Amino acid sequence: MTVDNALISKLEKLARLQLPPEQRQQLLGDLNAILEMVAKLNELDTEGVAPLTYISDAVFLGREDVVAKQVDREAALRNAPDQDGQYFKVPKVIDL
Amino acid sequence: MSVYDQYETVIGLEIHVQLATQSKAFCGDDARFGAAPNTHVSAISLGHPGTLPRLNKRQVEYAVQLGLALGCEIQRHNTFDRKNYFYADLPKGYQITQDRRPICVGGALQIPSAEGEKSIRIHHIHMEEDAGKSIHDQDPQHSLVDLNRAGVPLLEIVTEPDLRSPEEVDALMTAMRQLVRYLEISDGNMEEGSLRCDCNVSVRLRGSDQLGERCEVKNLNSMRFARRAIAYERRRQIDLIEAGCKAEQQTLNFDPVSGMTSPLRDKEDAHDYRYFPEPDLPPVQLDEAYVDQLRATLPPLPWALRTELATDYQLSPYNAELLTQEKATALYFKRLAAETPHFKAAANLLINKLLPWVQERKTPLADFPLTTDQLAELIQLIADDRVSNAVAYQRLFPALLDRPEARPLALAEALDLIQSQDDDFMATLVREVIEQHPDKVAAYRQGKKNLLGFFMGQVMRQSKGRANPKTAEALLQRTLAAD
Repeated sequence: MTVDNALISKLEKLARLQLPPEQRQQLLGDLNAILEMVAKLNELDTEGVAPLTYISDAVFLGREDVVAKQVDREAALRNAPDQDGQYFKVPKVIDL
Repeated sequence: MSVYDQYETVIGLEIHVQLATQSKAFCGDDARFGAAPNTHVSAISLGHPGTLPRLNKRQVEYAVQLGLALGCEIQRHNTFDRKNYFYADLPKGYQITQDRRPICVGGALQIPSAEGEKSIRIHHIHMEEDAGKSIHDQDPQHSLVDLNRAGVPLLEIVTEPDLRSPEEVDALMTAMRQLVRYLEISDGNMEEGSLRCDCNVSVRLRGSDQLGERCEVKNLNSMRFARRAIAYERRRQIDLIEAGCKAEQQTLNFDPVSGMTSPLRDKEDAHDYRYFPEPDLPPVQLDEAYVDQLRATLPPLPWALRTELATDYQLSPYNAELLTQEKATALYFKRLAAETPHFKAAANLLINKLLPWVQERKTPLADFPLTTDQLAELIQLIADDRVSNAVAYQRLFPALLDRPEARPLALAEALDLIQSQDDDFMATLVREVIEQHPDKVAAYRQGKKNLLGFFMGQVMRQSKGRANPKTAEALLQRTLAAD
């Protein structure tokens, strides 16, 4: 698989990003290099080997259903680029 | 026959049930509805880096209970996936859901329909988390985001396309609401969004077994909207087909103001969710003992109680239906029926007196001030003809509510409501009424037999309810015929 301009455009859309042209070129190179490195795995013969989805053998233990570890609103909003003391404020998503 | 009649509507639902847990699906935030914005949040629900989700045991329990009630196969091994998309009310950039191996598969729910009882098949049920809430109409330049709901546990029930009309959709949602309330896994409140559905709607010529291209209508938070949206969508799709075009697969938004649907996104920028296994949550493994224990502790289900009331207690299907709408009502009836042999009278009292009391006060039946023992005594007074039905309902019952410590018989005696069994008392009453209305008596004797109702009313009124209606009627008829 190779990353081309069309794929970058699709990824931009999915990630809600707009890349400046120079970054776009750099990303194109970086992504291709990453894929190339991972493609090395294709040299292995995995015939008959079950897919490994989880690295550990841990299974579901679950948490008891109790309220714990909430943070207060001031702390929650502190790192937001924009907020009004009650809500996170983001660019308008829908035109009404 | 109109062209519209040649088509049938095919509908499948995606029903979201918000679970009544204390905490969220993957962290300990309070999961309750209605708090001040952004107060039920934590590093996990805010999507901060380096945090890890931990699954709420109760969400699994509730999913299995619903699956067992619907006759689903419980997948002993099920897993979580990430559904990736960017939206301001989804801080992590993905929703944790179950795409490849959902917890429940198959099953069905019966609904009443125009053609009798109908089985709606369930495709699967999966566990997932809710997103936060975006508010678009309070600030001209911004959308406001409240993350209290982010991470609240949901079950999504996906049905097969077995529904054919808005009425059937309504019936299914009603049955589902009843079921989740019986199981006590959700409050099923549609106004607050605890129960909502997306409708997949398509049309096809009657008799065809091919499915048409479907459109998914979102934003349906009431049954009224769902009905209107489906009716609109049906017409729109038929018009398209009749004009030689094709309905295209789309996600649509329903606007309750205009009553129309409009594309939310079309195929071209259709979501590419890039599902992949959620590496932060290990697979859920359920053993037989766990499932058996949940099966053993399932509460009675609506359809079982409905059958029980209709057969074991000989109630009409209509009354059995009314009394099983809520589990609390059905169980109350059974407690009351354990204290009186008069099941039908018990059902009538519950339906005509107790349920209105519950509705007016918005108070649970458990808080009703009279005991089933008192109600049984009241029912017995009617059965023994000691208090007439009308007096029992209109006078003795309200008097008991005012004095909930009183015994029905003692109170009826104190209020002089006991029907007279005394023949002289009755004969005097009847004679007086007849003497007071000579013109009516003459008319009756000339054939206006429906005046009997008038005489009955007079006798009952003058007796202040103490006359036994059956005795009074017989005596009146005899006396009026005699002279």
